[in-house]
Order: sequence, then C-alpha cells, then structure tokens
Amino acid sequence: MTEVITTEEPQKRVEKILKGFQVNWMNLRDADSGKILWQNNEDMSSPDVEHEARVPKRILKCRVVSREMNFSSVEILERFRIEQKVLFKGRCLEEWFFEFGYVIPNSTNTWQSVIESAPESQMMPANVLNGNVVIETKFFDGDLLITTSRVRLFYV
Amino acid sequence: MGLLNILKKLRSNPDKELRLLLLGLDNAGKTTLLKQLASEDVNHVTPTAGFNIKSVLSNGFKLNVWDIGGQRKIRPYWRNYFENTDILIYVVDCSDHQRLEETGQELAELLEDEKLRGVNLLVYANKQDLATALPASEIAQHLGLHLIRDRTWQIQACVATDGTGVKEGMEWVCKNIPTKK
Repeated sequence: MTEVITTEEPQKRVEKILKGFQVNWMNLRDADSGKILWQNNEDMSSPDVEHEARVPKRILKCRVVSREMNFSSVEILERFRIEQKVLFKGRCLEEWFFEFGYVIPNSTNTWQSVIESAPESQMMPANVLNGNVVIETKFFDGDLLITTSRVRLFYV
Repeated sequence: MGLLNILKKLRSNPDKELRLLLLGLDNAGKTTLLKQLASEDVNHVTPTAGFNIKSVLSNGFKLNVWDIGGQRKIRPYWRNYFENTDILIYVVDCSDHQRLEETGQELAELLEDEKLRGVNLLVYANKQDLATALPASEIAQHLGLHLIRDRTWQIQACVATDGTGVKEGMEWVCKNIPTKK
C-alpha cells in the first residue's frame, strides 16, 4: 500500500490530501479567562480566498491570547506541520512553527497556541492594526505544501 | 494554575521544549482536564477523534501538551506520539468499574514500550465526585503502580470538571520533569 503513496506524483498527492482536508473552525481566546472572543465555523483553508475576522477591540488588552484551530483529514499524514505567521502590512510580527508528525486517517484534531502579548505600551492601537493584520497558516506534509489559510483581522 | 504558570515554574529547566502526553481510555476525562488547565468551558467536550494539542510559549520556553483520543480504534495510533515525551499523564475514570482491567492493560502496555522507557508517570484518578468512584488508593492497586521500579510515579485524585486536585497533579509534574543532557 505504501508503494502507491511513494510513487505518486507530489501534485496528485497534494490534491488527494486536500480533497479530504478541512479546517472546521478557528477561534481566538483571552487565554487568562479561557473565554472565546471570536470564532468562525466556515472552512478557512480554501487557498484562493482571504477570509475576514471581526474581532472585538478588547482582545488587544488581553495579556495572553490563544489561537485555536480544528481540522480534519481523511488521509494519513506522516509529517504534518504548520507554519503560522502574524503579518502586519505584509511584515512578519510573529511566527510559530509546529510539527505534529503523524495524523491519524479520518481524524479531527485541534491545535491551540498560547502566546503572551507585547506589553501594552508597545502594542499598536486598534485603528492602526485594523485591517492590516493577517494570520497566515501554511499546512505541510513534510516539504509538501498542502494549503494556505489567510485570515485578515478587523478590530471592532 | 494555568499552563502558562506551569511553564514559568519550569524556567530553571535547561530544556527549552517540554512535552506532556495525556493518555487513557475514552471518556476518562483527558480533554476536560486539558481545558480545565486553561480555564476553558468544560460543558461541551466531545469525544476526541484524533488529538488536541495545546502549545504555550513564554520567554523562549515551550510547553506542548498532547491529548490523544482514547477510543479503541484510535489506541493503535498512540505509539506515533510517544517520542520525546517528558511526562506521561494517564487518566482513569474511577467510576468505570467494568473497564478497570482494560485501563490497567493499556497502561501496562505503555509502561513496557521502549519509547516511553523511564518516562515519569502521573495517574489522575478522575471523577472522584461520583458516588461510585473508587478511591485513588484502590485504583493504584488495580493498576499495580506499587510494582513500578523503572520510573517515578504518582497518583492524584481529581475532579476534572471542577478542577479539584488538578493543580496538585501539575505541581508534581513540575517537580518531576527530567533534566536531559
């Protein structure tokens, strides 16, 4: 069975993985209280669309914020990893690489990353950040890029 | 005690990245426990059909907690997540008398696994709020914890849904993280 996979062309393999791959939801939390500040239940993994998130301004006051995503995969992934970047006007403010390794076939999984915010004095105000911040998440199996998710944040 | 606090306590550890692995039968309360640690709502927890990971970063230190689903069909995949584990946390539903033997067998297999050799073990004796729950001492007997010679272990009574005992267990974890070279 594994021979089929190894002889597959990368493009075909990506298509097959992507067909069975879905981001089910994403949310942002105040990690001190555990309360959800924003959640979205549409598939945010479609690579051609830039998604929009309307996030309450008070998230900028949070000392610790968590970003959580839930995803499903029909296919086995042997070396699944994520590269998540927070971009301000295209410039990287923050990045997080995470290696999951094995993904169980037909599984649904969540990954939550918790990070302390910059001190409030260094935090850019909401009107400057508004519409200029993008969370970009790239999903890989080994070196193979499966898909990219982009979510633009608006502070309301 | 949140995950961030745990991480802060670990600052003296020379290791930059720590990995806790949460295992146990389905419905033991692993995901609830993890959510309780993060002060999250535990009222809508559903069976985990894969893994849940919480990654916490503070001052260059990283803590990753891996919670893997406990359903029978998922258990054969547990081995894929053993590598580099610093502490094994095993959760037991103490009111599930019928599956005491099954949970004991699963734990015994984990303890025999080469990849988890010498990894310190915390057992959470969960659901102590239920009238039918066996006390932690009896669970320890059933699991044969007193026979373990090749690692440090602890059993901690807890109620994952309201947080009772969870903090005490994590304090033990903090004190028993191995110092790797």
